[in-house]
Amino acid sequence: MTEGMTIRPPRRAERVLARAFGDPVRAEAILGDLHEEYVPRAAASVRAAWLWYWSQALRLSTRLLVRHALDRLRRPRAGPAAPAQPPGDPLMRTLGPEIRHAFRAILKRPGMSAVIVLTLALGIGANAAVFALVDALVFRPFPFPDVDRIVMVVHARDGQIDRRASVSPADFLDLRRQTDAFEHLAALAWWDANLIGRDEPERVQGFMVSTDLFAVLGVRPALGRGFLAGDDTPGRHRRVVLGYGLWQRRFGSDPSIVGRSITIDGSACEVVGVAPAGFDFPMGAQVWSPIAFDPKTAANRTTRYLTVLGRLAAGRTLEDAKAQVALATERLERQYSESNKGLAGRVYTLAHGMRDVGLGPILSMWQASALFVLLIACVNVANLLLARGAERQREMAVRLAIGASPWRVARSMLIESLWLALLAAPAAVASAWAAVTILRGAMPAHIARFVAGWDQIDVDGRLLVATVLLAMLTALLFGIVPAVQCARPKLAESLKDGGRAGAGSARIRLRRSLVMAQMALALPLLAAAGLSVLTVHRYWNGPQGYDPDRLLTMQVVLADGRYHDAATRLRFTRNVVERLAALPGVRSAAAINTMPALGSNSGGTIEIDGQPVLDRANMPRADYRVATPRVFETLGIPLLKGRGIVDSDREETQPVAVVSASLAERHWPGTDPIGRRLKLEDGPWITIVGVAGDVIHDWFARRNYPTVYRPFAQAPSGSMSLLVRTVPEPVALAAAARGAVRAEDPAQPVFDIKTMREALTDRTVGLRYVAGIMGVLGALALVLSIVGVYGVMACLVAQRTHEIGVRIALGATRADVLRLTLAQTGRLTAAGAGVGIALALALTRLIEAGLLGVTRGSPLMLAAVASLLVTAALLAGCLPARRAAGIDPIAALRQG
Amino acid sequence: MYLGEFEQIVLLAILRLGDEAYAIPVRSEIEDKTGRSVARGALYTALDRLEGKRCLRSRLSDPRPERGGRSRRYYTVTPAGLAALRASRASLLRLWQGLEGRLGS
Repeated sequence: MTEGMTIRPPRRAERVLARAFGDPVRAEAILGDLHEEYVPRAAASVRAAWLWYWSQALRLSTRLLVRHALDRLRRPRAGPAAPAQPPGDPLMRTLGPEIRHAFRAILKRPGMSAVIVLTLALGIGANAAVFALVDALVFRPFPFPDVDRIVMVVHARDGQIDRRASVSPADFLDLRRQTDAFEHLAALAWWDANLIGRDEPERVQGFMVSTDLFAVLGVRPALGRGFLAGDDTPGRHRRVVLGYGLWQRRFGSDPSIVGRSITIDGSACEVVGVAPAGFDFPMGAQVWSPIAFDPKTAANRTTRYLTVLGRLAAGRTLEDAKAQVALATERLERQYSESNKGLAGRVYTLAHGMRDVGLGPILSMWQASALFVLLIACVNVANLLLARGAERQREMAVRLAIGASPWRVARSMLIESLWLALLAAPAAVASAWAAVTILRGAMPAHIARFVAGWDQIDVDGRLLVATVLLAMLTALLFGIVPAVQCARPKLAESLKDGGRAGAGSARIRLRRSLVMAQMALALPLLAAAGLSVLTVHRYWNGPQGYDPDRLLTMQVVLADGRYHDAATRLRFTRNVVERLAALPGVRSAAAINTMPALGSNSGGTIEIDGQPVLDRANMPRADYRVATPRVFETLGIPLLKGRGIVDSDREETQPVAVVSASLAERHWPGTDPIGRRLKLEDGPWITIVGVAGDVIHDWFARRNYPTVYRPFAQAPSGSMSLLVRTVPEPVALAAAARGAVRAEDPAQPVFDIKTMREALTDRTVGLRYVAGIMGVLGALALVLSIVGVYGVMACLVAQRTHEIGVRIALGATRADVLRLTLAQTGRLTAAGAGVGIALALALTRLIEAGLLGVTRGSPLMLAAVASLLVTAALLAGCLPARRAAGIDPIAALRQG
Repeated sequence: MYLGEFEQIVLLAILRLGDEAYAIPVRSEIEDKTGRSVARGALYTALDRLEGKRCLRSRLSDPRPERGGRSRRYYTVTPAGLAALRASRASLLRLWQGLEGRLGS
């Protein structure tokens, strides 16, 4: 019996359990149960029983602790001591009336609320419009299935800008053999297709493509078949797929076109299919033909003109493709060090690869600018809300005094901001939609087709979602400052009737710094806008190196089929130029392979006689022009030394060239280049006979670039620009000029007949776009920040009415008061402008990149913009200043 | 009121034990009749929950020496518990109806 009494479960385990229960009443029975079961076990083996008890205790207490923790999570603070709660979610119960209350508060001040909503709508709208642009141009420019599996393979070399034409035929064939990460790998090459048929001969944008291009893009022809393997065998490759638009327009949507033969480039081609409607990849192409590599082309490693696209094989990633291409390119470099030195293999997504190099900086500049406008708008709204907060300070103080928590007060302010943002969202969508419509309409179609994704720009659901999200974010941004301010007013001061100082002055300080921030944000934006406008102006009116007025231009591409040798091309060109020159009203005419401001260019490496070549892979380069006599006269390029191109330069005479001043300066500095020799690519030695003035071929990349001009007779080109210098307005001669070409060859298409000014305009469309958008954003920033200055100064004057009244009563003149108030505005804006200038300087690089490096930022521009901003701000400050000067001291004092 | 399977089992065991229903015999009764072992914690949790649902009522006994001077907690099934059990049984029987041929042995 005594033995039984001594048997006890381990005390420590009991304590652990008791603590886990917490509640002794509940613990009682369970501890008892364990005890009761322990005793017979201990009679058998104390040790086993001891182990058993501990394991039970630990398992039970763990279970209990977990249950307690879960209970606590589910019912926060819902202990037995908590007062009974009415049913329903407690958060919603208090939030509902607060939401209604906030809405009523907005309606109570319709004027101020309208200004806030409008300001927000403009700021958010600008952002949404830019987002639509970025979204279309960057994120989804191509509407192909599984577009993110389509990649571009690039052979990059330092200093090379163009990603789109970078692979040589031989390298392409090797890459295709040596990689297996791609399901298909296709090459594309630019093709000016001359279409001849029942109607007027026409030049159509075409592309020579690998037979599996359509498979790469995941596109099926609307009619007929695409290309089949084997269609690219030389000799069997005269087959085409027609663009849907071309088929409708030129062939009257004739369904029996498939299988028929049409004449392109002077020879018969079989139509094997019609592309689906809307498909015009790349760059508005309307006809595709298989690219056939004859043995000589297939061995070519030096001319890198192919765009290579691939579709990733199933299970392979972009990284796999990158690694394979990099490896294969490295192998090729080792194997063919002469031609492939310095080449690096890269793989980009299609959207990234096709993107214009300059587009990224422009879009980031827009996005940054739009964000600045939004920030300025936010600051404005925060300012207005602060002013409203000042009016409602007593209300808030009362709420705090009777027990509202600061969080509740801040929350009600935030709800008001959220309401305002929600009200602004539809207006923002409307303004974004208007902006996008204008943007789309302002871009000429023949330019837009080169911008991948342009036709995708639209206001859609994603934009709506983005806008609403932005509105919410904005609400938080502009609502936080006033909310925090309101949540902790100095209670006693606010509750006193005449509480003027104290919290009020802190608020004014805050509002002043907000206005300063606004100025600081507006200044870089204005600087960028100013620079954009200046750039377009310079581009348009600045020296081009030639005379762009009274100059008619047109483009001709001679088809290989009909003009297969140099003699026929030369004959055509000579006769056409003669016919053009003979037209009444024409001063002179000429042909050149590439005219200035043309979208494309030609060039190559040069070797200077007497200067040893150190590095074959990095030889100096020059733009290459072949032109008929009188080209300098026709273009208005001055001849600085020696002679120009003359009729006596013939195929059989000594090879000669005229070089540009920049080329002469670079390779024969300080000496006379006449009589020196140079070599173009692998051509013969050419003797220099003259030096011509520099030309700006392309404001973006080729300004005063070294250029070699050769006589057309010595290297006849198949594609050319015809130039006609006229006495009357050039447009009047357009029909006659077209007639002159047709008289020579009725089947030869002429395209892009326009004046040199028009050509320049087309080349500036992008820049004018940049300038236009930047101008609008800059104007928005200016207006918003001036409204901000006005608002804060008006408030300041209203708050100091009493003080100013005292000053006037004590003898201050109106001029004194005016000066006092204006000086305050001046200090405010000067400080803001100072910070802004620093910010603008820091952002110069971004702005310059956004303008494609055409213009450098100038201190003069910055100073001009700063003074514009300060002047506008001072003007805005004048109104409150005059009100201050007009204060009636008696009334002011009595009121105080 | 819906009863889980384990809850039904616990209630039935308590009914079977009559006046002697406290945790230890309840547990062995379940293990005896169902042939499955019952975790101690699971049983206590179920008892608590059933008491919360007012299917069970409990009372503490006088202190007992074999329990180190602690009480036993005796359980009885309330009328609500009985009703819940009946409802569960009825719905199960309805579901079984006509399936005896396929499921019965």
